[in-house]
Amino acid sequence: MTTAALQEDTPGKRAPLVLGHRDFNAVTETVAGIVEKKTTPSWLVLLGLAVSVLLILLGSLGKLVAEGLGIWGLNNTVFWAWDITGFVFWIGIGHAGTLISAILFLFRQKWRTSINRAAEAMTIFAVMSAAIYPVFHVGRVWFAYWLFPIPNQMSMWPNFKSPLLWDVFAISTYATVSILFWYVGLVPDLATLRDRATTKVRSIVLGIFSLGWRGSHRNWLNYEKTYLILAGLSTPLVLSVHTIVSFDFAVSIMPGWHTTIFPPYFVAGAIFSGFAMVVSLMVLARKAYGLEGLITIKHLENMNKIILLTGTMVGYAYAIEYFIAWYGGNEYERFAFINRAFGPYKWAYWTMWSCNVFSPQLFWFKRIRTSIPAMFVISIFVNIGMWFERFVIIVTSLHRDYIPSSWTYFRPSLFDISTFLGSFGLFFTLFLLFLRFLPAVAISEVKGVMPQADPHAGHDDHGHDAHDDHHEEASAKADESEDEGDEGEEASDDAEKDEEESRG
Amino acid sequence: MDKAHRHEELEEEAAKPFGLMGYFLTPGELMHACEKLKNAGYKDFDAQTPFPVHGLEKAMGLPPSKMPWIVLACGATGLLSAIALTAFVSLDYPLVISGKPAFSYQAYIPVMFELTVLFSAFGAFFGMWGINRLPMFYHPSMKHPSFPRATDDAFFVTVEAKDPKYDASKTRKLLEELGAREIVEVTE
Amino acid sequence: MSQAAAMTAGRATGEKSKADDARKLPKDVGDTLTKAGMGLAVLGVVAAGAGYAMDAKRFAASYLIGFLFVATIALGGLFFVLVQHLARAGWSVAARRQMEWLAGLLPAVAVLSIPIFLWAHDLYHHWMGPQAATDPILQKKAGYLNPSFFYGRSAFYVVVWVALGLYFTRTSRAQDESGDAKLTEKMQAASAPAMILFALTTTFAAFDWVMSLDPHWYSTIFGVYVFAGCATSSLSVLALITVQLQQRGYFRKISTVEHRHDIGKLLFGFIVFFAYIGFSQFLLIWYADIPEETVWYHHRWDDAGWAKVSLAIFFGHFVIPFLLLLSRHAKRHAVGLSVGAVIMLVMHYVDLYWLVMPTFDHHFHFSVVDICGLLGPLGIAAFLVARQAAQGPLYPLRDPRLAETVKVDNP
Repeated sequence: MTTAALQEDTPGKRAPLVLGHRDFNAVTETVAGIVEKKTTPSWLVLLGLAVSVLLILLGSLGKLVAEGLGIWGLNNTVFWAWDITGFVFWIGIGHAGTLISAILFLFRQKWRTSINRAAEAMTIFAVMSAAIYPVFHVGRVWFAYWLFPIPNQMSMWPNFKSPLLWDVFAISTYATVSILFWYVGLVPDLATLRDRATTKVRSIVLGIFSLGWRGSHRNWLNYEKTYLILAGLSTPLVLSVHTIVSFDFAVSIMPGWHTTIFPPYFVAGAIFSGFAMVVSLMVLARKAYGLEGLITIKHLENMNKIILLTGTMVGYAYAIEYFIAWYGGNEYERFAFINRAFGPYKWAYWTMWSCNVFSPQLFWFKRIRTSIPAMFVISIFVNIGMWFERFVIIVTSLHRDYIPSSWTYFRPSLFDISTFLGSFGLFFTLFLLFLRFLPAVAISEVKGVMPQADPHAGHDDHGHDAHDDHHEEASAKADESEDEGDEGEEASDDAEKDEEESRG
Repeated sequence: MDKAHRHEELEEEAAKPFGLMGYFLTPGELMHACEKLKNAGYKDFDAQTPFPVHGLEKAMGLPPSKMPWIVLACGATGLLSAIALTAFVSLDYPLVISGKPAFSYQAYIPVMFELTVLFSAFGAFFGMWGINRLPMFYHPSMKHPSFPRATDDAFFVTVEAKDPKYDASKTRKLLEELGAREIVEVTE
Repeated sequence: MSQAAAMTAGRATGEKSKADDARKLPKDVGDTLTKAGMGLAVLGVVAAGAGYAMDAKRFAASYLIGFLFVATIALGGLFFVLVQHLARAGWSVAARRQMEWLAGLLPAVAVLSIPIFLWAHDLYHHWMGPQAATDPILQKKAGYLNPSFFYGRSAFYVVVWVALGLYFTRTSRAQDESGDAKLTEKMQAASAPAMILFALTTTFAAFDWVMSLDPHWYSTIFGVYVFAGCATSSLSVLALITVQLQQRGYFRKISTVEHRHDIGKLLFGFIVFFAYIGFSQFLLIWYADIPEETVWYHHRWDDAGWAKVSLAIFFGHFVIPFLLLLSRHAKRHAVGLSVGAVIMLVMHYVDLYWLVMPTFDHHFHFSVVDICGLLGPLGIAAFLVARQAAQGPLYPLRDPRLAETVKVDNP
């Protein structure tokens, strides 16, 4: 059995999700081993690099607080530029994590188990990187709490009709729920690490954070239900977050911003960019930590397919937006779009199209979507393209507004660039710490999708194979599963009874 | 003297049996054992597994989780709180924004949605630990010498002493018949 | 829509319905079903004729709504088939054949669309009529909104749909005979480009046939809105057919309460999706308050009658089915799911009515002609679904993933 043959997913036979790990213990060893072994010099070098970039961020923000927003390249016409671009960029990146952990869970996509932990971590760190922008953009950061409806000495309340306030609620809810979801998933794995701990300190620290988890099935029952509920809550939540981000623009009457397709279009774009980031990170992490058996080519290929799908959806939105701008007949709207494509920022617009719509089309070819170097390059292109998408939307709409006398050309200042660059430092510092100290793959979830995790394994080991008469096989199986479900009771065909049993 | 007395009392308590524990190496064997225990009339038994074994709750005869109700209640609280908050805020200090009425419920729907989700998530998170009685940093089942494998690759079953059908020798025999390994009586 | 037919069939069979995993409906049941469908079709055509005789102008609009009702359900069926192949789904094999029956309506949709073009000058008189020549806004979009381009585009949409519908239903049927797993691979490969064609044709059909009724108005999300209606309505029909077949015991070994639950979950998801898209469109237009956009909502809110219809859509298309199908028990329960599906189908009609009719009738009043306009296309569709149900197997007999679908479980 070669691995290449194993990975083919043909109709009627699903390729295995875990390669090269014969038993449960092997999975534990692979994942826990990363956390338990000694720090490698290469990790230290990378951390050093990330921290130095983080220092650039801290320096830029220090300067910003000391001197004010004037150090950014903003002006009266382009009052939003790299700041909000960076904010939307990072928030969007985070969305793939929630999609993988929640939406793919609801769709029973079992392949998610190998990547969901890292993707969720990425979500949290991306939201943290995003939060820098609105918090510091308020100018006097020590008054950032005014964003929340807390009684203050002016006896004023925040403006609940403002989409920016909706953002405050959306982003803080999103961050909170993502952290809760992530932590719920971590607890059983922390317990695994606790039970393997060799030093007193590790055992106490992990003991506290694993909350005394002992894998009791009475606990698992509530745990799984909670996981399902959190997934069910996160799914509309993640949609709402980027929807509300799109409202920041779309409720206005700015040509190029006010268009009704913005909500689903932003959500698709967010997932698109996030998956690209997951692919970039996973390609590196699986290589560095020898996780090729858990994060297989099949996982990466599936993500590339989602990139192709969402990239095409984004292309659809660009095209419809353009068409309706013309069809609507509104002069300003038409101008905004012609200006995007052929005005001073046309280089940004066509970069966006090339990176976001054209480059993922290469994933139509199986050879490209299963080639590690190709997917890495394309995923980087997509990340660049999605940054440009936000830049195009924000800056090209603003820089030529209703009054031609105020038209201008935005150029970023050094501090625009250093703040954005520095935000990568924050992101990568946190991500490297995560890879080093927490289980990067969800140990218990991966075990749950291995073939031997099925309590009925053995009965139908070769059950998925192609047989001559599928129908006979299918009905035989149905009989079998029914018997198992109703053991101890009279075998009954009554669906209602079945329901009573399994409702909850 | 007082100290010694307390110590004695503790020792006495510690000696009380909590239950019999053994483990299996496959989820299938565990499932089979749980079914047999249920059919033999045991109620207070539990399984400790490294991952949730699919369908085990049916084999153990556990009632469905109560979590949805907790979350529903919390979600409703969140929605009502958001309605109250936005209504109070917009009437307490009315701001005229783009000519819209003071209480423009259309514009408050995003906030209502977010708070519903936030409260529901809190309900799910804290409710789950509450129902599961966690954090609990000591549990008798952790005394089994091979317990660390419960979070790795072993599938434990614990029959608790408080079960009316519990009988140290008979229960042990049953577990042996079912093929459990390393059957140990753990103390409280 | 074939529920009535299926119920008649069920009554006729009585005890025979114990034939648990029949691959096909028994011949007598199939005949009864086809006959019932035929009856509905004749009734529909007669009603349509009567409606046309009563008020030809009103009937054109009513027929457009009835036609869209059938077309959206058929397109939703096609979408489901495409998306299941695209995702290589295993669970849905037991539900796919029923959706193929709906996608199999697409050739009929092509035929049923012909009257729309015959009456186009009445329906689209705002931009086809002589006043368009003097309307500066319409002049700007005359390159798109002109009769010949309109007919050409519409022909393109229906040709694409017929081709996709026939390809996927026929290939699936061919697999029943041959059991060739390669056919699944072929359909999977075809589903991706087919999905792109589906998205573009559905969007532009929505723009052309519905949005252009009010040619000044525009909304980029409109295609997605109509698509959301395709999904909820086709899933509702799927739920009804599945429940009826299960209740009569036809393919209980293949399709179980778990499939009902899954269909219910998808329906629930698309109810939320519909509300999300509808709310997004509304909020953005309401908030920006630009007269050229808000006029569309004014037509649907200023008149007391239309305001009630708007509220009915909010509650009936979202709040009530949302609360009902939130419950796991309701999704798994035959009656619970059916009630949800019936509500969604009725509200889908109301929603289409709300999209189309305010252009013709600024003051809401429901006319018997509207019922005639619905019954015509609906009766023909019911007959065609009944005939497919009677003639072919009830599920993809030799799909390589059949073993997976029977193992589906919702813990």
